[in-house]
Amino acid sequence: MVESVIRLQDVRRYYVMGEFVVKALDGVTVDIKRGEFTSIMGPSGSGKSTMMNLIGCLDTPTSGLIDIDGENTAGLNETELAYIRNRKVGFVFQQFNLLGKLTALDNVIVPLLYGGMSVRERKQKAMDALERVGLSDRLYHRPNELSGGQKQRVAIARALVNNPTILLADEPTGALDTKTGNQIMELFEELNSEGRTVIFVTHDRELGMRCHRQIRIRDGRLEEQHAV
Amino acid sequence: MLFENIKLAFSAMRGSKMRTALSLLGIVIGVASVVAILTIGQSASQSITESIAVGGLDMITIYPSYGQRTTGTFTEEFSDMLIRDVEGLQTVLPQNNSSARVRYGKESMNASVSGVLSDYGNVLNLEYAEGSFFSDMDNINRRQVVVLGSSVAETLFPEQEALGQYVSLFRNQAKSYLVVGVLEAKDATFNLSYDNTVFIPYNTYGQRFLRTSGVGAYVIKVMDGYDTIEVSDRVTEYLDDIVGTDGYNLFSPASLAEMANQITGTFSAFLAAIAAISLLVGGIGIMNIMLVSVAERTKEIGIRKALGASPSVIRGQFIVEALTLTILGGLLGVALGSLLSYAVTNLMDWSLHLSYASFILAMGFSMFVGVFFGWYPAMKASRLDPIDALNYE
Repeated sequence: MVESVIRLQDVRRYYVMGEFVVKALDGVTVDIKRGEFTSIMGPSGSGKSTMMNLIGCLDTPTSGLIDIDGENTAGLNETELAYIRNRKVGFVFQQFNLLGKLTALDNVIVPLLYGGMSVRERKQKAMDALERVGLSDRLYHRPNELSGGQKQRVAIARALVNNPTILLADEPTGALDTKTGNQIMELFEELNSEGRTVIFVTHDRELGMRCHRQIRIRDGRLEEQHAV
Repeated sequence: MLFENIKLAFSAMRGSKMRTALSLLGIVIGVASVVAILTIGQSASQSITESIAVGGLDMITIYPSYGQRTTGTFTEEFSDMLIRDVEGLQTVLPQNNSSARVRYGKESMNASVSGVLSDYGNVLNLEYAEGSFFSDMDNINRRQVVVLGSSVAETLFPEQEALGQYVSLFRNQAKSYLVVGVLEAKDATFNLSYDNTVFIPYNTYGQRFLRTSGVGAYVIKVMDGYDTIEVSDRVTEYLDDIVGTDGYNLFSPASLAEMANQITGTFSAFLAAIAAISLLVGGIGIMNIMLVSVAERTKEIGIRKALGASPSVIRGQFIVEALTLTILGGLLGVALGSLLSYAVTNLMDWSLHLSYASFILAMGFSMFVGVFFGWYPAMKASRLDPIDALNYE
């Protein structure tokens, strides 16, 4: 039996908008095992982003329990949630979200700044991560000197650098052309084959189907779960 | 981490040079004015003390009131009484003062005339351009000899030595006096210079020059190791008992210097307090730029939070940025203030006494301003919701 790295138990996330209550997630229970390559699919407004934010500890549920890597996140304060984001989760965003003034290397170093590590050690780890995504020759380029695909590779290196339990990618190919998107998808597949747990949020059915397991979500509820 | 934050602060400043420069200006002007006012104040009071000290900081002069001169209290013997009864007096010299027309050949001028004992020259450390002070024998024998102040000698003897010449002192009648000495020029405020004075022996004054009785003034030298102001307080107390407060006037350069220092000190503290208000206003400028900086970098804050920055890390980043700004502004202000002080003291011909205390005070205050006004924007940044911040465009 492979252990769970993410467990959602009857998770609800409601937003109060004036007189209305928006039920972004309405009772979701999911169990994701270590090493799985899972896609979360659904139309926009379905609640997949909310689910991703909750798994990534950027948000806390209105009710329900979330365990990350065996740790219950209920009742953790801001600083403790920040620690989980730093150590257990690696985010990859659709719009890359690199810091424009920093070089590729410095961007990858950012998560290491919050961990207490020597300057030399940080640089070495960041260089290793950039090498892993094939960008050893772009260490000192700034984001505006990189192509879209290269930017996303920097972002993936940044997500990997702290050796997180989960890679959490939110439409990582959404801002890329098909060919580049395909290469990024291949990179995720490689990372998964090395044993990393990958969660891939997308509304692209074709890409979603390449993941080993699909979670479909609509109106804040799970529709069906497939294991390929 | 601190180093990274300082690097970040500088990169933020580079990103908006004009805005940073304008916000810094408030701090720079505030710090510069605090430093300049305190430094210029200190230099001014130092220069006042120096010019007063020319008259001798260990000297006290008593002037009996006009009505007291004939009562028989203030006599030559009173000098000995004072020394005996008041602790800390080294010498008490009686003297008489008035003025006369001094003439040599065609040249003449009005000068103060002082009748003094022969010790006077030594007690007051007078320095001579020519000759020396007269002797005790000159006094005992009531000789008509004179020591000229430098301005008097210059006026009467523009092109020749005064020593050995006879000048005439005209009061009720003209009498000639042999010049035995000429004093060096001495710059001093408060009429403490002797440049326009001529000195004649005490007895000659009383019996040949004006035929007075009584003493016009007592010049007191305070003993080494005694505080002049304390001693003059004791003299005051002593004289109040004998003749009352109206019976005399007491003058001491030391108390004058102390008073002058108090006035300049109070004045510059007052001005520095006003300047400190401008520092506070500068702080509001810092708060303003920090709020703009936080708003502009909302997205960056969101990214950093997603990557694991805790609220205290974000708060630290922005407080360090505000501190870096104010420290930079403080350093520039200290430099500008010093430059300003140098220019002013140079212009006024004072010696520059840089007030290091004001450097520390101004820097400390501007750092306090940085933390104080940086706190609110930093708190605001640290409390941003990570998702809202990430989605901010």
